Parts: sequence; C-alpha cells; structure tokens
Amino acid sequence: MAPKADLRVHLRRFRKTRDLTQQDLADRLGVTRQTIISIEKGKYRPSIELALLLAREFACPVEDLFELVEGDADGLDS
Amino acid sequence: MASIRDTLPIHPSRATWIAGGLVLVGFSLLQVHPAFLLVVAAGAFGPGLLRELGWLHDQDEFQRRAAQRAGYQAYLVGGLVTFALLALLGDGGVRSAAPDAILQTILALLWFTWLISSLVAYWGAHKTARRVLVAFGLVWLAFNVVGHLAHPIELLMQSLLAVPFLLAAWLVPRWPRAVGVLLLGLSVFFFWFFHLHEIVGPTPLAKGRGVVLILFVGPLLASGIALLRDRDPDSDEAR
Repeated sequence: MAPKADLRVHLRRFRKTRDLTQQDLADRLGVTRQTIISIEKGKYRPSIELALLLAREFACPVEDLFELVEGDADGLDS
Repeated sequence: MASIRDTLPIHPSRATWIAGGLVLVGFSLLQVHPAFLLVVAAGAFGPGLLRELGWLHDQDEFQRRAAQRAGYQAYLVGGLVTFALLALLGDGGVRSAAPDAILQTILALLWFTWLISSLVAYWGAHKTARRVLVAFGLVWLAFNVVGHLAHPIELLMQSLLAVPFLLAAWLVPRWPRAVGVLLLGLSVFFFWFFHLHEIVGPTPLAKGRGVVLILFVGPLLASGIALLRDRDPDSDEAR
C-alpha cells in the first residue's frame, strides 16, 4: 500500500542557496552524486540517516528539506 | 579540471571494475575450457554476494536500492519466462535440441533485465531510451559500413534505416510518451519480422530466437515501458 501523502523535496533550493554542486554535497555526505540527483528529482527517498545528515549539513529541520503534501505532488521543488 | 573518471556517465567502484574484468577474461577463455564459466560467474555474482554478506561496502544506499530493485525485476521477468518455457517444453509436441540454449537464454534474460533496470535507475527513463536508440542506430550503421563498403549506393540506402532510430532518440525529451508507444510498436514489429512468434512452436529456442528476442526486442520493449511509466517531466540529470 502506498502512503496517502506525497513527498515534496526542497533539497535543490537549499543546495543552490549554499552554492554547492551536487558533487560537493555528495562528497560532504559520503554518497554518490547520483544519490543527490535522485533525491532532488524525487525519484529516491533517502533513509532516515541520510535525511538527518542532510538536515545537519544545511542546519535546518528535516521537515524544511522534505515536506509531506496531500494529494498528487510531483515531488519536485516548484 | 574534471578528471577522466568524472566525465564517465557512471562511476563503478574498484570491485565492479575487477568483476567486469573477470567476466571478460572468463568469456574469452571459454574456448580453452567451459569451466572458465565459473570465472564469469564469480565476476557476475561475486560482488553482489559479498555485499549481501556485508563483507564489501563499496556502494551507497541509492546504489544498494537500485541493485535490489534490479534484482527483484530480474527475478520477476526471469521467473515468468522460465515458467513459460517450462510450460512450452512440458508439452509433448515441443522439443529442445539444445538444453543448454534454454539455460543460456534464461541467464541472458536475467542479466539483461538487471542491466536495463540499473540503467533506468541511474540515468532515468529518458536518457536510457535515448542511449538505447542511439546504440541501435550506430550498430546498424556499423554493420552496414562493414557489409556494403564496396557498394556505395546500397550503403547509403541501407544506412537510411538508422535514421528513424536516431530521430526517435532526438524526440525522446520532446515527446517521451509518443516515442514510448513507438518503441512498443517497433518491438512488436521486430517480433514478427524475425519470426519470433514461432517461439510458441515445436522448437521454441531454435535459430537463436532467445538471443534475438533479448537483444533486439528487449531493449526497445524495456525502453518503451520505461518511457510510458515515467512520471518525471524532466528525466535528465541536473547539475
């Protein structure tokens, strides 16, 4: 069964604000650039550990990076 | 300055490079002795087994998830086709002159499904479909150049058949669903063109039907399905 709410990802906006490339962020977190790409595109939902690491990296609550929205969301930053 | 490694579309780990080397060495030594298939098997399945046992940590969570998804899809497709083959071969009117052809077909199908699924996970549906179509076009062109080098008119006319593949590759980002439908249609066309419907006849895997099915119809069918079920309006990577 799929959850009723969809996930909207704001990671790209945070990364751009910090002027980081996907590779920079991937290197900081010890993951591949492909992982960052997939999270930003809403194609991959990170583990709790990685979500918390991202939140720590950007010094924000995890809910600022990942937002639950009702109905159909495209999963991407507007 | 970007290194050569950074310019590659994917960045395999050292274990993956070694495994790929083992597969190539194993295949090239098959003429010496069939037992070298074990080297191929070590390369194809060794790293995955080591990762599952927790002895190899060369992938991050996205790569692990992609591998697990690809493995599950290979299980579904491989299992379905194996059951279908068993049902066909179990019929008294069906025979197999070469039992090893069945095993090779199933292995090729497992590997192919795993590969396409991995490519879609890494590149997205659009980029995978584009590269599959470009590869089809270029392989067709290469065979034509080799086969008709002495006959320029034939070379030109036959080479024109590569144009629809390259055109479809160009159209993927513009009309992905239309190209998806086109690819499904093309795979059905090739299915009849190569007489693959005879796979339900008395000799299912004769004339290399299994391999033709996987190498010709498989990439087009898989790319078409991936394009049609892709929800992402912009499937390409963004920097």
